[in-house]
Amino acid sequence: MILINPSIKLITVLIIALEISFTQSTITNILIVLIGFLYLLINNKITWNALLILLLAIIPTVGIFMSQNMYGTAAMGNILVTRLYAYITLGLTFTKTTTIQELGLSLEQNLKMPTKFVYGFMGGFNLINYVKQDIADIKQAAHFRNINLHFWSPSLYFKAILSAIRYAELLSEGMESHGFSEQAYRTHYKKIALNKSDYSKATFILLILQISIVFI
Amino acid sequence: MFKSLNLKNIILMTLISIICGTIFWIAGFLYNIVTIALTPMGLAPLANDLLIGLWTMAGPLSGYIIKKAGSSLIAEVLGSFVEMFWGGQWGASTVISGIEQGIASELGFTILGYKIYGWVSIISTTITTTIITFIWDWFRNGYSAYSYQMLILLFITRLVSIFVFNGILTKLIANLLEKSTILK
Repeated sequence: MILINPSIKLITVLIIALEISFTQSTITNILIVLIGFLYLLINNKITWNALLILLLAIIPTVGIFMSQNMYGTAAMGNILVTRLYAYITLGLTFTKTTTIQELGLSLEQNLKMPTKFVYGFMGGFNLINYVKQDIADIKQAAHFRNINLHFWSPSLYFKAILSAIRYAELLSEGMESHGFSEQAYRTHYKKIALNKSDYSKATFILLILQISIVFI
Repeated sequence: MFKSLNLKNIILMTLISIICGTIFWIAGFLYNIVTIALTPMGLAPLANDLLIGLWTMAGPLSGYIIKKAGSSLIAEVLGSFVEMFWGGQWGASTVISGIEQGIASELGFTILGYKIYGWVSIISTTITTTIITFIWDWFRNGYSAYSYQMLILLFITRLVSIFVFNGILTKLIANLLEKSTILK
């Protein structure tokens, strides 16, 4: 298992994604897909869900490829298709090997992000299942009255945001009553290490990227 | 810039971005359907401009509800994270778009000094979002290659899409919230 610090991993992935957005190298894109796949394989993270995401991406790729072949150039079509898969693989290498909690703790301990943001985000993300259930309930309740709520219906958002406001009030009061303070010094039970090797791994990856873009 | 935000605001922003991030993710599927439908007419690039309003919704919604500096930018970026973690079809580039769109919608509130809300702020955030995202696509998605008739069509479509989803929809939701007197 190759470990790399979550914050460094995020920054590296974003730099690579930004760089391939503005360069036109099919081979670099393919290289990113292969290396990303290898990384997932080594870390044993090729799940059915990951394969499904890659499979579903065939739809936009076919669309892009056809429209570029009809109205653009075939070369541009190849670049855009491989670029899309490079983006997805980059996304998977990050999301499949990092949890929101690890990312949050790393942002706090390594990048010194204020605790109110880190714990606010993590608290919010822990409520995902409640938010999902609430939206399902709101739709169901409307359905009983023969009203269909769609993603463009203001009342769906209104009701969802009402429950979000209630959760935000309850959770922030709960956290503060348990002694959470924005200014207080915190000790950490789970420490996220940031070593020199993390920097060298990231530098190495970015160096390969530059070589591939410039020379291949 | 982010000093005025408190814990409650941040949790609320996160929840708004979760709701919107789910919509971003669904919009990805819509994008595929619209692209396929428009391809025979040679208007495939229009799909992006038609749906961009959906992808930039978290920013204005959060900025308008929380009314504090930074709330628009953070909600949009978090929304893009949610989309990436749910397995959106643009993978890691989603977050880059999220940062760019967040800055775009935040700017609409910044130029009014976070003091004026209502239709004025809706219009200003619509204009900044349209212009900045258009410039971004000009460089990133090769818009410079299109003819100027096509560009005008793309720009107007984008403006309308952003105005409908970020403007009118946000205002309607905010009106309901104001009527319920929960915001103060």
